[in-house]
Amino acid sequence: MIRTPEQTLGPFFPPRFADPGANDLTVLDGRCARGEPIEIHGVVTEEGGAALENLIVEIWQTDAAGIYRHPLDPRHREADPDFLGWGRAATDREGRYSFRTIRPGAPAGRAPHVNVMLMYSGLMRILKTALFFEDAAENGTDPVLLAVPAERRALLIARREAPGRYRFDIRLRGEGETPFFAD
Amino acid sequence: MAAVSDPVEDLTQPARLVAGYPQTFVRTPAQPLVRRPLTLSELTGPVEPQRRLRLLGGDLAGSGERRAIGQAIRLRVRILDEGGVPVAGALVEMWQANAAGRYIHPNDDDHAPVDPNFYGAARLVADENGFIEIRTVKPGAYPVPSSDGWWRPPHVHFSIFGRVWLSRLVTQMYFPGEPLNPQDRILNAVADAQARERLIARFVPPTGDPYNELVYEHRIVVRGRDATPPQP
Repeated sequence: MIRTPEQTLGPFFPPRFADPGANDLTVLDGRCARGEPIEIHGVVTEEGGAALENLIVEIWQTDAAGIYRHPLDPRHREADPDFLGWGRAATDREGRYSFRTIRPGAPAGRAPHVNVMLMYSGLMRILKTALFFEDAAENGTDPVLLAVPAERRALLIARREAPGRYRFDIRLRGEGETPFFAD
Repeated sequence: MAAVSDPVEDLTQPARLVAGYPQTFVRTPAQPLVRRPLTLSELTGPVEPQRRLRLLGGDLAGSGERRAIGQAIRLRVRILDEGGVPVAGALVEMWQANAAGRYIHPNDDDHAPVDPNFYGAARLVADENGFIEIRTVKPGAYPVPSSDGWWRPPHVHFSIFGRVWLSRLVTQMYFPGEPLNPQDRILNAVADAQARERLIARFVPPTGDPYNELVYEHRIVVRGRDATPPQP
């Protein structure tokens, strides 16, 4: 069957859909996930550098042991029961988003990473990218990072600003444009 | 309105750059999208995201003194994957303008009145056969601000969590026979006519039940679990 075409999120995504706590992955139903809590934050801009407000950022990642909480992960029965692996944030007036999460472990054959999705007015399709950690030893062998042209890989590396605090700015178009994936 | 399309793109999906829709030209990546091998990251996805997102039910129209103004409609929507298999348990978010074409959102200006009985958002989980049912009012059309005669036809927005990360879908549903449909820049950004038809609901001739609600059926097809990305 032909897939339903994507359409833009538009400018009127209900503010109540960015539920309070949807950007805090460290707690689920009042219970704390295992692992190192970290903060990931950044600014989302369009061409020319203007910050984008009320843009939706969603993330998907493994738990601290590198396991996806999903039946296709062969180790999913060992997944942290208090970690869903998914979250949503909306950018504020200055284009800032932030997540509190657990530093992901390395899934089989991959470097630790966080999958990122962006939805917004003017984006006719969802944009997909991924962020990696500058202090991760496996970055040099990650097949997805290696698929990105060498000169653009640094744009997918979140910078460690302080212990447990990483910055990942996202530029949709123009200078320093974030690499996005075709799939 | 002609859409600027990329020849290597799948024409059943919308063009990314749309003539007359200026935001697409400052927000769409200029660099080529990177093709990557698919790993567990892309072929898994959140199970029960509703543990983070509170369900809101599927009745936007209300009743009695709290009944929203407008033509009451019932949307019977089925979520399937490309193989035709219902996506049981899919989380679905839906939002729309009121009958006058006004959203409850700080970005919407005062071109049309707010209906105090209409907020315009639903969030619910598909049943074991992939069905959801939403009771609402037919949304009004509205002009796109600072534009050149572009009006959005009546439409409903959907955000759907399929089975995996790659099947996440954000789309819109349109109503059949609307005079604004043929000139809408977002609907017509989909070049393939058959794919465009996928975005238009089917009107179900009234039978008397339910009383005072027009019924529309709609099918939403999300990417399957094992779908591989199209190759150039």
